Amino acid sequence: MAARRRNHRPKRCFLSEATPPILVKTETSAFNFLWKSKTMSKESRMRATINQKLTEMGERERLKEILRARLTECGWKDQMKAHCKEVIKEKGLEHITVDDLVVEITPKGRALVPDSVKKDLLHRIRAFLAQHAS
Amino acid sequence: MKMEDMPLSGLDNTRLEALAHDIYSELVEDACLGLCFEVHRAVKQGYFFLDETDQESMKEFEIVDQPGVDIFGQVYNQWKNKECECPNCKRLIAASRFAPHLEKCLGMGRNSSRIANRRLASSNNMSKSESDQEDNDDLNDNDWSYGAEKKAKKRKSEKSQNSPRRSKSLKHKNGELGSSVGAESYKYNYNTGISYETLGPDEVRSLLTTQCGVISEHTKNVDVYATLCPTRSQRCPQHTDEQRRAVRVFLLGPSAPALPDADAVVETDSFDIPEGQTLMSRLQWEDSPDISPTDSASSKASTNHSDSRKPKKKKKPSLGLNSGGGGSGSLAGGGSSSSQSNISISTKKKRPKLSAPSLSSIYDDLN
Repeated sequence: MAARRRNHRPKRCFLSEATPPILVKTETSAFNFLWKSKTMSKESRMRATINQKLTEMGERERLKEILRARLTECGWKDQMKAHCKEVIKEKGLEHITVDDLVVEITPKGRALVPDSVKKDLLHRIRAFLAQHAS
Repeated sequence: MKMEDMPLSGLDNTRLEALAHDIYSELVEDACLGLCFEVHRAVKQGYFFLDETDQESMKEFEIVDQPGVDIFGQVYNQWKNKECECPNCKRLIAASRFAPHLEKCLGMGRNSSRIANRRLASSNNMSKSESDQEDNDDLNDNDWSYGAEKKAKKRKSEKSQNSPRRSKSLKHKNGELGSSVGAESYKYNYNTGISYETLGPDEVRSLLTTQCGVISEHTKNVDVYATLCPTRSQRCPQHTDEQRRAVRVFLLGPSAPALPDADAVVETDSFDIPEGQTLMSRLQWEDSPDISPTDSASSKASTNHSDSRKPKKKKKPSLGLNSGGGGSGSLAGGGSSSSQSNISISTKKKRPKLSAPSLSSIYDDLN
């Protein structure tokens, strides 16, 4: 019976995929209970748990700091700033908005992260998961 | 059950990997957002473009990349070959040596006073030892013979080690003694003497009246620098009166004038030579405890001689030596009283009884 249920249900709950992780954080306990019981798969539950642990143990902040330091020392930040200058000069100093910047900057930022930094960070995340995933 | 486990673990792995990537993307997005907020705030507060002021000043302070010049455009060894004129001594000094030279020149640095004091001390030592020879003769017979010699030798060696004038002093000693007999020659106490070859007979005679003059042992065999003992006294403890007489005979001929009596007791021309010699040797024996070991041979001879005379002298009452000294008249004079006191001081330690009788016997002979 369990197998049947599993086959019937899709692997990923549609709802859990659509909702950004932020929603997981902001759920009240009641809503969480309902949500989890109805729509969240085991995987989602696991994800939520993992994320919760990451935040609660301070690992998330630590990883953020490490990433910022690495990006600064490898020159990524200066590159991005130069790009910002171009965007601002293009759009005009007076009328620039945060959204403009975000839209322009984020994709380029993601692309420009050096491989070494990416690998290092993934390594740390995997280590954390191995330790704390059930 | 097993079927559940296997896909779960397989899923878990891929899920875990996916989860890891998701977490990573989250972190990167966070960083980008942070940067965007920072830039936006800088733009709105007006400090984003501060490092780009204007084209002119940008060009002025550009990094220089030429050979022989640093990034500011300055030459490296610009001051290497330049010379500066010292305001004090008006000399041209190299730029890198200018500051230390000024220190010494103006006497204001940390070490300049030290060096000046050292120089003063060494020049004081030279003049001080000279005055010691003259003044302490009459007073401190004990110290005079060996202790002062040691002190003077020490000072002399100290001086010659420290001062840069060592070469100068050597020049004086060897070459120019004819003219500089008066001052510099007397600075060199026991180790050096005066070369008599450069002096004329009159000069030699005058020298020999005022100083010991015995040819120094260590220079005897050296042709060029045979030196006279420069001790300014006829009672130099290093040499006997016999030696002094021999030197005078050697230098001035057999008809040499009598040994002058600056401080000595009984060296006069009224004596027959053998008698004078025995008397002198007896006197030497009185002083023998304080004489340096170089005179051991002569003093031993004289002690043998005077020992035989001992028993005879004990019986005689001690005469007033002053009267005896006064009676001897022309020769002893003032010198005898002083020398008598010298002798009494020197012999106080060992043979106080015998000094008076032996002296009285001498004066009896005289009279």
